[in-house]
Amino acid sequence: MADLQINLAGIKSPNPFWLASAPPTNSGYQVQRAFEAGWGGAVWKTLGDPIINTTARFAAASFNGKKVAGFNNIELITDRPLEVNLKEIYETKKRFPNHAIIASLMVEPKQEKWHEIVKRVEDIGVDGLELNFGCPHGMAERGMGAASGQVPELVEKQTYWVKEVAKTPVIVKLTPNITDITVTAEAAVCGGADAVSMINTINSLMGVDLDSWNTVPHVAGKGAHGGYCGPAVKPIALNMVGECARNPLIDIPISGIGGISNWKDAAEFILMGATGVQVCTAAMHHGFSIVEDMIDGLNNYLDEKGIASVMDLVGKSVPKYSNWGDLDLNYKVVARINNDVCINCNKCHISCEDTSHQCIDMLKDATGKSYLKVREEDCVGCNLCSIVCPVDGAIDMVEIKQTLPSMTWNERQSRIASFMT
Amino acid sequence: MSEYETFMEEKNKIDSYFDKGYQVISIFENLSGTFVDFVTGEEAIEREVVQIQLLTAEARKYIATKLLFVS
Ligand SMILES: Cc1cc2nc3c(=O)[nH]c(=O)nc-3n(C[C@H](O)[C@H](O)[C@H](O)COP(=O)(O)O)c2cc1C
Ligand code: SF4
Ligand code: SF4
Repeated sequence: MADLQINLAGIKSPNPFWLASAPPTNSGYQVQRAFEAGWGGAVWKTLGDPIINTTARFAAASFNGKKVAGFNNIELITDRPLEVNLKEIYETKKRFPNHAIIASLMVEPKQEKWHEIVKRVEDIGVDGLELNFGCPHGMAERGMGAASGQVPELVEKQTYWVKEVAKTPVIVKLTPNITDITVTAEAAVCGGADAVSMINTINSLMGVDLDSWNTVPHVAGKGAHGGYCGPAVKPIALNMVGECARNPLIDIPISGIGGISNWKDAAEFILMGATGVQVCTAAMHHGFSIVEDMIDGLNNYLDEKGIASVMDLVGKSVPKYSNWGDLDLNYKVVARINNDVCINCNKCHISCEDTSHQCIDMLKDATGKSYLKVREEDCVGCNLCSIVCPVDGAIDMVEIKQTLPSMTWNERQSRIASFMT
Repeated sequence: MSEYETFMEEKNKIDSYFDKGYQVISIFENLSGTFVDFVTGEEAIEREVVQIQLLTAEARKYIATKLLFVS
């Protein structure tokens, strides 16, 4: 049994699986049930000034019969009174002293507002604070959430104000609705953040109903942009975590969020630099019990790898995440079709012929049976055929032994620079 | 001619100039590809400059790899 405990900027939890600030952490009843189910921590549904929500709040993308490939919401922060939330946080912490409870906060970008909420929340006893600079809708129109999270100066200033009074670790939750998330992450560092978390949801419009021409979802015939999350956003979130993790100026822990649905997703985020992960959509789709498989899966993985503690996994892939200009141009892989396994569906041939490099030949053997073969010298190793192939093991991407030493684009450019006329 | 055959032709040219003792004196790249000037001869009077145009990406890699590690 590996040690799954984490310590994220001083916040300890029995495992790296936290529920993200969202409907699953709306109340003490829910968070306590989540802890009973095995979640190691919870970031409480964002606390702040009173709001009102609309009905019809969620929508989801199904893809090829798979439900909830992506999830969209126009929900705001908590609509319950601060006192009620604080009482339930207190009761939950009392029942689960070893689990992490982090209060997510969002107020107007004013020093006195931040001071007030931080003091009131910390008085009740939380393990940390998460500043919600990411909610892309509703609150942003009032100058909060993503609106302030998109301006590095405001991120720095508000973090600083919180740090002026905070006694517990401060996590700054960043919006992905920005060109370069490392800029706002650096601003959080400059403001004194103890950690950053990412990502909040991505601006989105789920769809348009072709009969009524209404947006999906719509509120009495009108729509507004929402925030996108769930499995579809995982690659975007993973890149943002990786970009922050490999940036030497962002030398604080990262809490990874975005499309994490199982232990493998979680392990990938941890390898890419996250000290722990937060989950929302997967819990909303399948319920709290998914954490059991997450804990088992991560445990078995660490045991198989001979790793004693999950903390030893943190960031192991970060040195492998680089710039395009530092990739070896002389590295070569080619596609190889395993004709014993291939079912001759031709998908690979069509994809290569129509949209790649026309190097999968349709041939016939001595008995007249058709088979496919890759002309390896023309194959550029793009992976497309193996991506579209429906049969596991029918196409291998194989490494060709390198005859030339490795050379990156940057090395090439600096070498030929001396010959440039 | 396939992309691979074009590359092999360009590679053979590059190899043959290096084999004959030519050296690269200039490279320039524009929208039409990479242009490599080879020169031979020690004395200025004997100098012969030949230019080859490389059209394939493989050859653009190959020439730079040669310059980095071989010559
Ligand atoms: C319905 C809904 C409400 C959310 N409300 C909040 C919120 O109040 N505060 C916050 O910081 N993030 C909120 N989020 C964002 C999530 O915490 C999380 O960052 C995002 O959903 C990405 O994770 P996921 O892909 O696991 O869902 C909400 C997300 C959803 C789907
Ligand atoms: S890897 Fe790309 S180029 Fe090679 S055979 Fe497959 S689709 Fe064609
Ligand atoms: S896509 Fe896969 S199964 Fe289909 S013909 Fe190609 S290798 Fe065979």
